[in-house]
Amino acid sequence: MKTAHSREIGEGRASNGFLAFPHQFESMLGIELSGVSRVPIKRPESDEPRLATPIIKAVNLYKDYGKFRAVDGIEFQVFPGEIFGMLGPNGAGKTTTMRMLACISPVTAGELHVDGLNVMDHPRQIRDRIGVVAQQDGLDPDLNVMQNLTVYARYFGMTGRVAEHRAREMLEFFELENRSSDGIHTLSGGMKRRLALARAFMTRPRIVILDEPTTGLDPQSRNRVWEQLERIKAAGATIFMSTHYMEEAAALCDRIVIMDHGKILANGTPDDLVLEHAGVETAIVRPVLDRRKEVELALAALDVEYRDRGRAIAVFNRNGAKLNLDGLANATVKTRASTLEDVFLNLTGRELKDD
Amino acid sequence: MATAISTPRVDFRPRNVYGVWLRHWLAFKAGWLVDSSAIVIEPVFILLAVGFGIGRFVENISEGLTYQEFVAPGIIAANAMWPALFNCSWGAYQRMENHKVYETMISAPVNLSELAAGEIVWGATRSLMTTAAVLTIAAMLGLIDSPLAILILPVGVLIGLVFGGMGLIYASIAPSQHSMMLIFTLIGTPIFFFSGAFFPIDSLHSAVQPIAWVMPLTGGVHAARGLATGDFGLGEVFGLLYLGGLAVTFYPIAFLLLRRKLVL
Repeated sequence: MKTAHSREIGEGRASNGFLAFPHQFESMLGIELSGVSRVPIKRPESDEPRLATPIIKAVNLYKDYGKFRAVDGIEFQVFPGEIFGMLGPNGAGKTTTMRMLACISPVTAGELHVDGLNVMDHPRQIRDRIGVVAQQDGLDPDLNVMQNLTVYARYFGMTGRVAEHRAREMLEFFELENRSSDGIHTLSGGMKRRLALARAFMTRPRIVILDEPTTGLDPQSRNRVWEQLERIKAAGATIFMSTHYMEEAAALCDRIVIMDHGKILANGTPDDLVLEHAGVETAIVRPVLDRRKEVELALAALDVEYRDRGRAIAVFNRNGAKLNLDGLANATVKTRASTLEDVFLNLTGRELKDD
Repeated sequence: MATAISTPRVDFRPRNVYGVWLRHWLAFKAGWLVDSSAIVIEPVFILLAVGFGIGRFVENISEGLTYQEFVAPGIIAANAMWPALFNCSWGAYQRMENHKVYETMISAPVNLSELAAGEIVWGATRSLMTTAAVLTIAAMLGLIDSPLAILILPVGVLIGLVFGGMGLIYASIAPSQHSMMLIFTLIGTPIFFFSGAFFPIDSLHSAVQPIAWVMPLTGGVHAARGLATGDFGLGEVFGLLYLGGLAVTFYPIAFLLLRRKLVL
């Protein structure tokens, strides 16, 4: 089963440039419906040589709204077949960047290329090729589930039986097949999000842009969406997503950029970023009352870095060595593996969860 | 190679206008009974109340023209404006602001010029439905004589195109959902009552007559009456041309204002 699966992934690209999704989805569905355990999808090695040219490329990109600079000179490259994430708090400029990518917001300065086309010169051609899920889903409440898919597909020139067949396929893949004639208002938040994803994949886009695909979902729905995104990636699509959940970025993305106030602070694989900016482990040191000064002095004498984290102090070691704070007096110490949350805190001094 | 696939200068896809229209048709089909009854029953009540109620106390408008014959085509034409106005103002505002349906459409390869055209053409379609329904009922009540009255249908479409454009313009500049009501009370209602549908414009004070004549419904009301009574002259032709001019002007203004609002 597994070998057949990976062979198909290798043959994912159809001659017309669109992915041959149906077979792959059907085979995946076979696995899924028969109840056999799900196929784990391995990440590519991070140091794998990149022979491909970037499929999305931003060069010195700016976006101003009047006097407010929402995107402040960012640069990034996304390679075919990867899940690329923008991690940052609300207001970091993620949605603005995605709207420019989707060609519904003009670029103020700099260059942005999608699939080799400049977004300012070929907005329609780019929109023909990509799938987009906005943060608010944008489902049409006056249409039922099936119609939401077929009406959308028509804007891409996909009509009639072809559209209906494809819609059924997508409903099945996103586990909504029993809801096709239901109204949108009867769906749960997770179902709505999956329908919005199904809609974006109606036309088999090679590039999908997802703005916070799991925001507002319960953990179970979130896991389900993650799994489906991994399957879509396995089928060869390139996914550009934003998130303000560090767990999501760590679990799903091959590479991420960390954004704040319109700027990119760091970019790399989640693991590399954690190692580089927060080390292997982080110790949360809580000084006992009125002993903070002493604790900080003791830390300063050690070969570690530390940051204020409210009443506690986060201690870490960039060079990858284990922390040894056994001798630290006047404080309780809890050591754990570092996360992207620590990376963000160390870079900005603020928590990612805050707005 | 590159020259073989040069981009057309005018990038307009008629299939998207149809796509947007079809979206409305599917949405309409799902709740057509409630939707259309509201917009058909009301004009019929007006027809009965004004035509047969008030009409009994009104003398003939002119030689050989009863008040019923005068007011029936007026009511048909005047009611053609509401469905288009409603769809393209209140309905459009809902879709763009509350449901983010426009955002979905423009993320798909639909341009705002096509979206606006689809909205306005659907508005005109709704106007046509209302016109057809009220015209049929008026004919059954014996209020319409001339077979030419069938041509009131395209007049209804034209009225729909004008008021669809007007509604969409308002929807793209309205500051809030609340302010959407203003287009009905401050613009729709005076146009409805003072376009010559219920009484001749000549009977208005001479200072306001010019305003009544340039209102975007007046030409439609007079054309409908001309067709119903068989008295259709140059004035009616001019009125329709004026409406056509308004429709052609409102459309680009509407989609440019939409662009200003949505493409930030």
